[in-house]
Amino acid sequence: MSRADILKEVTDIFIDVLDNEDIVLNDETQAKDVDDWDSLNHIQLVVAIEKHFKIRFTSKEIQSWNNVGEMLNCIQEKGI
Amino acid sequence: MFKTDDIFTANFTISDEIYNGFISVFQDKNPLHTDHQFAAEKGFQSVVMHGNILNGFLSYFIGECLPTKNVIIHSQEIQYKNAVYLKDTLQFKAVVVGVYESVKAVEFKFDFKNSEAKTVAKGKIQIGLLS
Repeated sequence: MSRADILKEVTDIFIDVLDNEDIVLNDETQAKDVDDWDSLNHIQLVVAIEKHFKIRFTSKEIQSWNNVGEMLNCIQEKGI
Repeated sequence: MFKTDDIFTANFTISDEIYNGFISVFQDKNPLHTDHQFAAEKGFQSVVMHGNILNGFLSYFIGECLPTKNVIIHSQEIQYKNAVYLKDTLQFKAVVVGVYESVKAVEFKFDFKNSEAKTVAKGKIQIGLLS
């Protein structure tokens, strides 16, 4: 899957979980840039992404992410 | 602590105390729940128990029946399939369908069955494990 396709699917997950049709993500997007991307919603986002792509992250991996781009890198590294 | 396909079971009975307590606390006295004639006219054998009583049982299950007390409910969905009546004993079963170590979350699918083995409600619940 191309990085653009992964970004689109991740964006759809954000829109669904955060119930906000206006969300636009790019590599530099951080939690502070997205309304309601708080610690509890972060859990729901990670669970939804793991389910959608049928992958599992480690806690070390998710703690290393500083932005959406690093999240996408991690998804790609799992062979998606 | 939790593995996919782990199964947890419990039995819950809707006692007078639970039924009357629910009405007392939440004041939902809709005739479907309190008027036998009204319920009969709608095709039910007796007054129908509030669906959210089952959510109370779910709360008890998560809070008291799991191998750890370090839990918090993240989300839950429930579908009601058949009416539940006063004094019914429900067999509850929850199966672990997802373990998300990265965010310390566990997802269960659950169902409640009545004494005729008919599913009265089913759904999903996701919990978090507190550090």
